[in-house]
Amino acid sequence: MAVDPARIDKFRRLPIDGQSLKRLIDAGLTWLRTNKDMVNALNVFPVPDGDTGTNMTLTLQAAWNEIKDSGTSHLGEMAALVSKGALMGARGNSGVITSQILRGFSRGCHDKATLDVATIAKAFGEARDTAYKGVVRPVEGTILTVIKEVAIATEAALGSVKDPIEMLEVAVRAADEAVKKTPDLLPVLKQAGVVDSGGKGLFFILEGMLRHVYGESLETPTTMVHSLSAMDLQGALDEVEEGQDYEIVVDFVPTNELNLASFYARLEEMGTSIQVGEGEGMYRMHIHVPLEKRYEPIDYIMEIGTVTKVAIENLLAQMDDIQKSKQLQFTPVEPGSIAVVVVSPGQGLSRIFASLGVAAIVAGGQSMNPSTQDILNSFENLPTDKVIILPNNKNIVLAANQAKEVTVKHVAVVPTRTVPQGLAAMLSLAPEGELQAVADKMAKAMAHVKTGEITIATRTVEIDGVSVKDGQVIALLDGKLVVSAESVEQGVMELLEKANAGEHELITFFYGEEMPHGEANRIADVVREKYKSHEIEVQEGGQPHYQFIISIE
Amino acid sequence: MGEETTSLGGIQISPDAVATIAYHATLESYGVVGLAPKNLTDGIVASITREPSRGVSVSYKGDDIDIDIHIIIEYGTRINSVAQSVANTVRFHVEKALGLQVNSVNVHVAGLRISNSD
Repeated sequence: MAVDPARIDKFRRLPIDGQSLKRLIDAGLTWLRTNKDMVNALNVFPVPDGDTGTNMTLTLQAAWNEIKDSGTSHLGEMAALVSKGALMGARGNSGVITSQILRGFSRGCHDKATLDVATIAKAFGEARDTAYKGVVRPVEGTILTVIKEVAIATEAALGSVKDPIEMLEVAVRAADEAVKKTPDLLPVLKQAGVVDSGGKGLFFILEGMLRHVYGESLETPTTMVHSLSAMDLQGALDEVEEGQDYEIVVDFVPTNELNLASFYARLEEMGTSIQVGEGEGMYRMHIHVPLEKRYEPIDYIMEIGTVTKVAIENLLAQMDDIQKSKQLQFTPVEPGSIAVVVVSPGQGLSRIFASLGVAAIVAGGQSMNPSTQDILNSFENLPTDKVIILPNNKNIVLAANQAKEVTVKHVAVVPTRTVPQGLAAMLSLAPEGELQAVADKMAKAMAHVKTGEITIATRTVEIDGVSVKDGQVIALLDGKLVVSAESVEQGVMELLEKANAGEHELITFFYGEEMPHGEANRIADVVREKYKSHEIEVQEGGQPHYQFIISIE
Repeated sequence: MGEETTSLGGIQISPDAVATIAYHATLESYGVVGLAPKNLTDGIVASITREPSRGVSVSYKGDDIDIDIHIIIEYGTRINSVAQSVANTVRFHVEKALGLQVNSVNVHVAGLRISNSD
């Protein structure tokens, strides 16, 4: 930022009288108003008034209205007017505290014609004391903490600073640091990832005064420029919307000082999610733009400065990757190794299959059979030519065999007809060896498991000697209808009878998307009660149509 | 109110519990330097109370929660703004803690405390 040494020098030489204070208040107010929205945006719980920035601005505005026509050059008199105006116009919790701070400040310098270093420290001390007197239980990590830190810092600086401007610098620095520490004092701020809004407002008032001394602009919010390290480009990716096809990041050094307002205005014509960071004269611009505008920000920035680095990313592709990685972690396939592809009817089952080391999953099952093409697509791009397919449904075995016919890769289909068979096959996978030998071993393993399925009949029918009414619970054992029942629980118990579950050791329930987790556990407890020596497991399967898929081993 | 019916039975929240929440919220409100027992509106400054049930009264009328708070305010603050903040803060905290709507928060400014005269 441009600091004018001559101007500062002039301020240093002139005493700060009533009229100087008036200009400083004006500057503080202007700067606060400029950053009002940013302060409002910080608002979280501790003070439940949602517009701290607005309230503080209006309070200070009332103070300004009181002094704007005053010609007094006596500092104390001017400060008293500020205090009076702020008191009359105090709005909201933060406004009242602000008015108390100004009141204390005014008391600290009421008998002074000009502001000297010692008076500043004394006035800030009074401001702190007055502010703290106004509340029984001061909450730390708020504007109160900030004025306290300012008072401490200015008092400590008494011996070392030469003039009021230097003292103001001390105050601004202390306020800045205190604001940054507020999340450590007030956990709710930390949770929300913000600093205290009232404290930040007070900081802006003090900083505005200092910027006035420096001759810096009070109209352009600084908050539009982050420090480079504070730019949150990863987080920006979560908010990608329609029309944000490309992410452009440009590092550049502007030829002349960057006019942020017009810079932003131009960028806003091109895209969204604009962020600008600055560090040691180098700027970084971040923006999301639609496909057809992907070179515009670069062309524009080349006009106003020297581009040092450009990064363009296809957001849609990136989002896809993020989606996928959030869902499932597949086992990476080594070239030449055996990859297993499975058909899975539900999210929960997919996760289980993925954890067992499958290379790809095709979504599908009862009443949503994947096509041959779907199965082909799942493995055609894998970097190996040895593939084993587990269809996990009798209606999909055929499509799997067709996929085997049309591909140039070496494919073995292990004809698993149910999910438990597929899981049993997967558990026995030892991928070293000849493709066919591995597949044969898996096929053998699947024969050791019995599969129960619980679903609801969709029509009235009699099959295999079991008569079923529409809407009844039915149970299938290895694909064959064995039981019709009035409740899922009854269906499960009778199914286990039919399966001779007593002779097995492990019963695993995969509950479907229509089955509540709690109910699944309840039924499992009933089963545990009866099969005391068995191991009973309950897993989320997430499959449609089937309340339970049951593996009996 | 102060009563909720669930499948397991009823939950009742006593007026005293609500008063305690309101009391603490009030004391954290800026500008409030104390609460005043509601029946002692004379000579209050001497009888600033730290007892939650004193200075705060809570009543249920059907589904409505009504809260009355009697406060002492620091002299030199804008009374209207402070009272407004207290009403907002108390409503916010009670509703947050209870998950129930507060019908009204009536703030009675019982007196002022003068700690500094300018």
